[in-house]
Amino acid sequence: MSRAPRAAGLAARLREQWRQNPKLELWLAWWTMVVFYQIFGIVFVLMTRVMPPPKPWWEPERVAQWFADTHDGLVWGFGIIFLISFMAPACNALIGYSMRRMSVSPVFAYSYIAIYSVSAFPGMLLAALLLCAGALRPDRDPQIISWLYDAAFMTFVGTMGLFLVGTAVWMVAILLDKNRVFPLWFGYLNICNLLTEVVVAPAWIFKAGPFAWNGVITFWIDTLVFAVYTAVFITLLRRMTVRDDLREGPLPETPQLATTASLRF
Amino acid sequence: MHVTSNDVSLSRLRERAGERVAARSDAEAGTLQHAADAAPSPAASRQPLPQAGEAKASGLLPSNAIPGRIDIWVFVAIEVVIFSSYFVAYMLHRVWEPALYLESQQQLSQHFGAANTVILLVSSWLMAGAVQAAREGRHAAAQRQVWATMAFGGLFIASKLVEWSSKIGDGYTLTTNGFFTFYYFLTGIHVVHVLMGFGFLAVAIHQMRSPARRSIPAIEACGIYWHMVDFLWVIIFALLYVMR
Repeated sequence: MSRAPRAAGLAARLREQWRQNPKLELWLAWWTMVVFYQIFGIVFVLMTRVMPPPKPWWEPERVAQWFADTHDGLVWGFGIIFLISFMAPACNALIGYSMRRMSVSPVFAYSYIAIYSVSAFPGMLLAALLLCAGALRPDRDPQIISWLYDAAFMTFVGTMGLFLVGTAVWMVAILLDKNRVFPLWFGYLNICNLLTEVVVAPAWIFKAGPFAWNGVITFWIDTLVFAVYTAVFITLLRRMTVRDDLREGPLPETPQLATTASLRF
Repeated sequence: MHVTSNDVSLSRLRERAGERVAARSDAEAGTLQHAADAAPSPAASRQPLPQAGEAKASGLLPSNAIPGRIDIWVFVAIEVVIFSSYFVAYMLHRVWEPALYLESQQQLSQHFGAANTVILLVSSWLMAGAVQAAREGRHAAAQRQVWATMAFGGLFIASKLVEWSSKIGDGYTLTTNGFFTFYYFLTGIHVVHVLMGFGFLAVAIHQMRSPARRSIPAIEACGIYWHMVDFLWVIIFALLYVMR
């Protein structure tokens, strides 16, 4: 009984936000990004068991066994990923907006969006397609299944150039920006993420050890750096959205518009 | 490693700055973010002898000040942590296969590694001189020293290419064994840092060229990055070439 007024209050608040919040698009993009990364983590870590990756040195029969063991997780998990892959560009859009809010040339934002427009393919979709194909064709020769397995994990862990250049574009924009959209240290932090894209290269060569696709350097340290970097940029994008006064020039340190501040999600 | 005004008498700097700071343009502002903070305020720039609180703004550092902004130090700390994790991985594999690592290590030339170290130390010394010259307003001299730093950086990369070619010629490649994988990986990722360092040095020269820029914190940040590259090499040299 007591919940009804609260629910109505929440619905009314959401309706008010939807109609009046001048930063509605920014908040939608930010929340889409947060939800996407949560689902991405659940699918890749818990459902499909792709992270941490299985062993690169397995024989074809063992690989076929892995596909059989994780069949349901792969099919349902990547089904979800195909369904929500439309959410990935929200992150690129918000980062592109952050560069448009900076004092730098629009070339940075457009270059970033263009480069990252295909990032979902090497970043997750290619691995998802290959592993789904392996899971849904268990009757094929184990050698062929093993090839799908290799190709999936090499592309998932070992692809680099796209993310390297995109991160470099964002880094340079932050370091040149005079509007203080992001702190300078985050510009430098991009270098750390950028270098992880170089470090993954040996995953194409080694089948075992610290440089294989499940290696301590190629996967664990890289993933840790990437996770910290992602958590930091999600936090800073939220902070940018809160601070944004939707004008030109330097971003205020605290929200300037009282209406905007009170209406934020 | 970074030469600050700890090494140079503050009173001597003040005497020099008294001549130069007064001549600076009021319109001084950097092109990098926050550079405007670094430029002396019009009021401060007219003071012939900056006080302690103004010392940094006019290019001088009080003896207890840390050069650069906190941002570049945060980056250096994170880089050191990441590299330390690589070093720990190397040490563990070395402990697990001591004979292989020791035997492989003897294929490296310690003279070559020592020469690499001297080259980078000289480049770091030159960069420290460049930062100090920039603080004192001697921008032409500072630029020359940054160019010299670049030259030594180029010499380091050339020497690494010669060493890698020699090792590959001898049959030691990335896949020969665990030691050589770490050797090519650690020296390779370090060379990538040196290459990025050229970008930082180019920014330093860009800052020094025009009176409208000349942000001391930006120039110091470039110097700090270069010293970090040098510092990391000293550890890599010790781990790969020296440690028995």
